[in-house]
Amino acid sequence: MSSYRYGRPALKNSVDVQLQTAFSDGNWNTVIRLAAKRAATLKDPYYEAIKMCAESQLDGTAEKCAVLVAIDDLVKNKKTPDIDTIELYEWACRDFFDYEVEYADSLGPLRARWAKANPGSPLALQCVQACLEKWDLVSAQQIATSLDKAYANTADRRYMFWNITLTYLLSISPQCTDASRKVYSLLAVRHLERAADLTDNSAKLESTDRGLITEEEVGLYYRVLHSHGTKEEYISRLKSPKLGAISQLKEGRKLLFCEALDALEAWGEWDLIYNLCREALELGLEGGTSPFFVCDLQTWRKFASAASKVVDSDSALGEVQAILKRYIDIKDTASAMYKKNLSLALLETTFRLPATALNPNHDNNGLSPRVVQIGLFLDQYFERLSAFDDVKGYVAELGFEEIKTLMEDVLPKMLDEDADKARKVVLNALVCRLRYLLSTCPQTLSPQPAAVEGETQDKPFQCRFCTEPTELPCESCLKKLVVNASDAYRQITSDKELVDSIPRLDKDPRLDLALVMGNSLLKLSGLRPRTSDVGQSLWQSVEPRLFLQAVLLLDTQLNETPGDTELRLLLVQLYLLLGCASYAHRLWTPLDVKRTIQDALSPLFFDRISTLSPGLFQGGRPLMEPLRAFYKHNLSDKSPVRIWDAFSAGSYTSILDMINHDSSLRRSCTLMMTLVEERRAIRCYGGKIDCEIEQHPLTENINDDTTLVSKTDYGPFPNLESLHGPPIHEYLRLGPGLSNERSQLAFLSEQYLDLLLYKPPKDYKPAKQTEAALRDREYTLETLSRLSNSLSDFLHQPSTTSRLTPSETTYYSVFSLLSAALLIALSTPRSDPLPKTLSLLTTSIKSALTTLRSTFPSSPTNTATPTTTTTTTPTPVTTTAYPALTSLPILSSIRDTALAVRHSAAFVAAAHDRELARDRSGRSGVHRDALAEMRALDAAAGKALGEARGCVLRLKEALGEAGWMDRVLEVVFPEEGDVLPEGGEGGDKGDGGGGVGVGVGVVGKAVEEVVGGRAGAEEWAGKVVESWREGVKGWGMVRME
Amino acid sequence: MANFRRFRPDDLNKLSKCNLDPFTETYELGFYLQYYAKWPSLFQVAEDQHGNIIGYIMGKLESSPEIYQFSEHYLPWHAHITAVTVAPEARRLGIGKLLTEQLEVAADANDAWFVDLFVRVSNHKAITFYKNMGYSVFRVVKDYYGEHSTDPTLSSEDAYDMRKPMKRDAKRQHVRDDGEKHEVDPSDVW
Repeated sequence: MSSYRYGRPALKNSVDVQLQTAFSDGNWNTVIRLAAKRAATLKDPYYEAIKMCAESQLDGTAEKCAVLVAIDDLVKNKKTPDIDTIELYEWACRDFFDYEVEYADSLGPLRARWAKANPGSPLALQCVQACLEKWDLVSAQQIATSLDKAYANTADRRYMFWNITLTYLLSISPQCTDASRKVYSLLAVRHLERAADLTDNSAKLESTDRGLITEEEVGLYYRVLHSHGTKEEYISRLKSPKLGAISQLKEGRKLLFCEALDALEAWGEWDLIYNLCREALELGLEGGTSPFFVCDLQTWRKFASAASKVVDSDSALGEVQAILKRYIDIKDTASAMYKKNLSLALLETTFRLPATALNPNHDNNGLSPRVVQIGLFLDQYFERLSAFDDVKGYVAELGFEEIKTLMEDVLPKMLDEDADKARKVVLNALVCRLRYLLSTCPQTLSPQPAAVEGETQDKPFQCRFCTEPTELPCESCLKKLVVNASDAYRQITSDKELVDSIPRLDKDPRLDLALVMGNSLLKLSGLRPRTSDVGQSLWQSVEPRLFLQAVLLLDTQLNETPGDTELRLLLVQLYLLLGCASYAHRLWTPLDVKRTIQDALSPLFFDRISTLSPGLFQGGRPLMEPLRAFYKHNLSDKSPVRIWDAFSAGSYTSILDMINHDSSLRRSCTLMMTLVEERRAIRCYGGKIDCEIEQHPLTENINDDTTLVSKTDYGPFPNLESLHGPPIHEYLRLGPGLSNERSQLAFLSEQYLDLLLYKPPKDYKPAKQTEAALRDREYTLETLSRLSNSLSDFLHQPSTTSRLTPSETTYYSVFSLLSAALLIALSTPRSDPLPKTLSLLTTSIKSALTTLRSTFPSSPTNTATPTTTTTTTPTPVTTTAYPALTSLPILSSIRDTALAVRHSAAFVAAAHDRELARDRSGRSGVHRDALAEMRALDAAAGKALGEARGCVLRLKEALGEAGWMDRVLEVVFPEEGDVLPEGGEGGDKGDGGGGVGVGVGVVGKAVEEVVGGRAGAEEWAGKVVESWREGVKGWGMVRME
Repeated sequence: MANFRRFRPDDLNKLSKCNLDPFTETYELGFYLQYYAKWPSLFQVAEDQHGNIIGYIMGKLESSPEIYQFSEHYLPWHAHITAVTVAPEARRLGIGKLLTEQLEVAADANDAWFVDLFVRVSNHKAITFYKNMGYSVFRVVKDYYGEHSTDPTLSSEDAYDMRKPMKRDAKRQHVRDDGEKHEVDPSDVW
């Protein structure tokens, strides 16, 4: 195949050498002259095509488009040119596809007609390939139908299944008309049903038979049936003698079994799941498959879960245990992986058994079968890296008595006194992790009466471990945990034999201990999930000392274990929260997030990065170039990447999955984040944005109805939290994660800015100025109306508020208000009274600006007092600098909102000036009162921008002062007596320790001992301060006008 | 802890536990999808209870192009292991071995003569792993890798082309005992 890949096509061999040479040399004028001569002499339309193809290479628009006219003529008149002409035409108009010319309206139908007329030609295959690569499903399906007919009952089965696959794809594609959709659906199902019946009813199928033979063909059948058939049909076939899930398993095919379990679970068909799992597992025991073929954890979980839901669940669970026991009897023959799966299956079944079966006598005994099973599992696997993740879900399900027994009786006795030291510390690290996990479990607390002996209790619970009044988590227990983990940590570092043993272990136990200490300190600092209600600066919402201690401790650990990606990612997030973007970037870079994994992992660093540190975008290689290149490279074609390979290989389920994946990638929130973050950063420094966001090739199919999807991968975070609370990554983000709502609002607000900031080309001089002005006005009003409606719709969706930070909500609300205000201002005739709505809108905008300004800590309008427990009188600059440094996204919102207001006011004023210049009467200009409203808005925005500029200057000055490193260290390790007792300022977040087991400064001391004291923290403090300085330096160059 | 199943494209969003490990290469999207498109049964994953991919193997089935049929380096119909990786937390459980065995089953099902793979000559751990699984060195590909994994002063490193015969090669025609003595250039390797 030559032309569709757009190498210059070869001319027919019959063409003379002179013309061949001119064509291959690209001497287009010579080609035109020679081809015209040959056409006249030989009366062969092929030479006309060569001539037109050569003309298309010239600069003139008419010559370029002649080939399009020729194609259009062929399509409309239902003519079928020869394949060489099609190849020439396709090459000639290659630059028009996806822009002016739809393949499905031009070359696609020509190829389909040619293939229908020549189905036996090998070139027909190339026609279906060409149509698929241009994602013209209509033409591709027509060609596939022709090929199927031509090659029916031959050994090449692909054509039949291409036909079916493409018929199915068409039935679910927007390329199909609603009228045809049902027909194609039925056609695909009928084709496959016939094939399935043939398979089930034939003793043996030959490759020439039109039944289902390969696993891919069977997989396609079930996928189509699941989509277009009924549940009953699906279930009935699932039990059939040849195409049933068990029959397929016997042939070594597991795909259907896995997909069927998912489908049945979605339908809640527990009886069927139970039977299917039972039969499949028995098959392994009876030699129908290799013994552990389906012995996955998923199978056991679904088996146990289904057994607990069927009518006779006691008997069903008994059956699960019986089959499991048979597997355990042969587990010596299994690999370590399956042995572990069996151990986990045992845990799973024990936890799914009804309480009556586990404890028939209702004893209040902590040593329950569940605890025993956890103990047995850990006895085998506690040294494994994944031991904590394996059991944490089960431990979090235990009742308090069981927990106490596990933690105080079972685990401490797991190793003998004389056991290996290294094994002891590994077990101790696991115990610390479990202890932290339990601090996130509500069953470790009991409700506290609102008043005790007449005294009001301010803590709603009592901790069942330490009996202290508390909230979740219990601060007293967390403090004790920090101290215990610190002791264990020092025990390792002070023992050379232990340190030397670390490389032989699955994981450095110091890492686990550091994570426990770090997480405990973060919780003690008051860090809460960064959801939509986190309005305050981080510095104001947490106890800075404890937060910084956590960061310092984890950073110190990273120096010991630099290869640990979990810890590195955790620190990247913490430094972003702390406003140290450049340092976070230095930690992020070695993770080498590149190519395919960028879509899932990039949000962990890049989301909101332009609002935190625009300066990062200044420098050599554009910061987000690899991400942009990833999307450009993989989404530039309309067809999914490598789709022809899947057709060619007959991988039908791969085709369906690849199409779904492609669709998700085109609707990726990360993609939208990439475009928006770059545009925001470019605007910060007055750069030129290449094209309007709506015109960007990557947003081609995105509109209000598109659901943008976030595939952010939080898998690599070290999550010690239980399912009773939010996962750790929710505590660490700058705000709510990527979402359709936020991405759509960002897309719309960028479109609004594109409208305001559009500048016509300098040489644009319309001949009919009045007409052009009217068209422009009409376009502007239509766009404003659309944007206003869309912004308002997204903002008013019930889920939206929870997907945005407060400053983002304000930012997007202002865009919604501005688009509505401009619509009124520009559409109200001067002679009419100005609708009062405009005044209401501008008042809301001003109020929003004030709200934003008041939330930024160093703003003159903000009088909030920072929370700190240190009594060292801080200098005024640091009092405001710390909170400001951890609230830079709010500063960004102030700037961006104020600039949007100013651009809007300027847009209205410019529209007015243009009208005045065009129509001297002044009657068509903008309403006088509207102009006044916009001027007032402009003044308010100017004031906000002035303040923002002032804030940056003050921050710069503050950070320019000497002694910052000492100041940071003073926050982290205050001098004796600098820590307020509990009940003092911010005392509820301190480790004051009044009345609790761990006293003043003991936690700090524990941290100090791990990090090597104040001296050990100096280098770290220097890096933090330097990163703040770099960030503020970047902000100093941001344009505020 | 683990489920073994076929790869799905959505797994690409769950690769971090494997691919953030510096010893695992991250390829272009088209590379993964090419394998999924052409040889889906040879692209298998192990996933943990949260859906994270903790191991995977990518393989292909092919022979050398017909044009090389009479070359001494011609490869008959065989399976090739392109990549196999296991996340640090899932090591020492035999996942790599299970994935490799699954690929061998697929190779036998597709009537392959042998399964082959390339490995750095300095990667003793992997070489031992494969030898324990029945693979042997068939030839040494000189300067196959553009950089040396352990010695920064060297600009290249040799590869062992290791093979394991499948059922079709009952007479062990496609393996040899003294593979370390047979050196070839990268240009001879198809």
